[in-house]
Amino acid sequence: MVIIGENIHVIANAVSTAISQRDPKVIQDLARAQTEAGAHYLDLNVGPMKKDTEETMEWLVNAAQEVTELPLSIDTLNPVAMEAGLKACKNRPLLNSASGRTNSKEQMLPLAQKYNCDVVISVMTDKGMPPDVESKIESIMDTVAHANDLGIATEDIWVDPILLPISTAGEGQRFTVLNLEFIEILEDVLPGIKSTVGLSNTSNGVPEDLRPHLNRTYLVMLDRNGLYSAIADPLDKELMGLIKGEMPEVVELIYKTMDGEELDLSGLPEKQVEYVKTARVLMGQTLYSDAWLDS
Amino acid sequence: MEYKAPVEAYAGVVREVTVGKAKKSMKIGGENILPLHSFDEGSNPNPARFALEVLDMTPQDWPDHLVEPFRDAVSDPVTWAKKCQGFGVDAVSLYLMSTDPAVKDTPADESAALAREVAESIDVPLILYGSGDETKDAEVLPRVAEVCDGLNLLIGPVLKENYEVVGRAILDHGHTAIAQSPLDINLLKEMNVKLGKFFPPERIVIDPLSSALGYGMEYSFSLIERVKQIGIMTKDSMTMMPIIANLGFECWKTKQAKENREQGLLWEGITALSLLMAGANVLVLRHPESLRLLKETMEVR
Repeated sequence: MVIIGENIHVIANAVSTAISQRDPKVIQDLARAQTEAGAHYLDLNVGPMKKDTEETMEWLVNAAQEVTELPLSIDTLNPVAMEAGLKACKNRPLLNSASGRTNSKEQMLPLAQKYNCDVVISVMTDKGMPPDVESKIESIMDTVAHANDLGIATEDIWVDPILLPISTAGEGQRFTVLNLEFIEILEDVLPGIKSTVGLSNTSNGVPEDLRPHLNRTYLVMLDRNGLYSAIADPLDKELMGLIKGEMPEVVELIYKTMDGEELDLSGLPEKQVEYVKTARVLMGQTLYSDAWLDS
Repeated sequence: MEYKAPVEAYAGVVREVTVGKAKKSMKIGGENILPLHSFDEGSNPNPARFALEVLDMTPQDWPDHLVEPFRDAVSDPVTWAKKCQGFGVDAVSLYLMSTDPAVKDTPADESAALAREVAESIDVPLILYGSGDETKDAEVLPRVAEVCDGLNLLIGPVLKENYEVVGRAILDHGHTAIAQSPLDINLLKEMNVKLGKFFPPERIVIDPLSSALGYGMEYSFSLIERVKQIGIMTKDSMTMMPIIANLGFECWKTKQAKENREQGLLWEGITALSLLMAGANVLVLRHPESLRLLKETMEVR
């Protein structure tokens, strides 16, 4: 599993302040920490970027590159910022992200070809978010075909099915189940293609201390179904340990839960019980509530 | 070839909850079948129950056609409650509206005494709703529970902001709780899980909030339907409780219901009928005539 470190994100106040004051320390501390923790890429999420776009992007990329050899994922919807970021990268970067929207096809996708980089393409289209597995597949096949026509190889494309919060009233669980299915069949419909997800989106809106439970468990589940990479928190040691195979008994329990096996939880350690309960809500086997670990 | 209709059997059973004491008691819930699925396996041992609502103060903004059936009684909740019994109700619902700090801020002691007087003067069980102000309810509802000790009223709303203090008092004094959450199945389950940590689930009734026709009724409908499906089909313990639809209040707030009598009766009647079909076990209405219409419609079926 390729982990794209998510921690340099403009939503974090410290990051946003560091960028506007051109203070490299915060950025470089985060870059070093994520590199040491075993991330494979570093995501630089700069948001919409209203002013000094090119100069800011270039500064940020260079700040990170001074302390890490990892390739970067340039995360913005602003094509000007994107181009400035890609241009400044020493290693082959990841363009994060393009989509099936017309403006993205016209302004973002050509950049992937121009700078010969890998590119994240989401299932989003001009009509918005496709509501089910079939329409997600249909939309991504269209966009991938378009990218191929531009000269972008399928192997360079990382498909993002777009994760939605599990806590979205009534609907969230439908999406956690549906995206597992999407990842499972993606390789069959587009052989050679890669995939990625914004993992922590799944737990958005959930009480802060409980979010890692969902992120960790869901990553194991997606991994089993063939997910290639995830934008996630490499500083979460348990998450990294799980995907490196350091907790085989937990992974086994999650797999059994996915297969619908009836598990006797009575003799299990608390931690393993929590993983099973979390897998059950992510599979839609039991109704989600913020108190899912207590019931 | 002869056609054989498929017959479903379900795993879950809605808990049967008893409200009231001895002769003044009623059972609600208990079904192991989806609403209106009489063609499937299972049964509903208790028919839907109906209550009319009484306020603890003279109504201020009610249209005349809603006041009319109770005209000589609306200034006295005890007389009003007794009068409801003439309209074939299974219970009376007392709404302590005046305790709201924004209304009259009636003290807890006064309201508790009134609740006891009403409960003792009628021959059916009493449902009791606080004002919904979570802070004031945390004073009023425990006092009501104490003063009405042992009468097994159905008391709510128990909210996530006050469930510990209100729930504890309801439990200690032998009553039944109405757990309320704002039109969201995940929050509804969370409320029951939290309350259920110290409160017996067989004494919980769910209030998912009942919006009126034209004002979001379809959300309430879908939610009630979903609670029943998850409880009865997937046997989720934390949704296997009966449901109360407190809809009179919501219906008579609408411009349409206030405009004229016939429209008002239909507004309340259609909302009630819809939520009944979704699976509500107890329905609280305001107008005796819309209750009569509702019962008449059910008999036609």
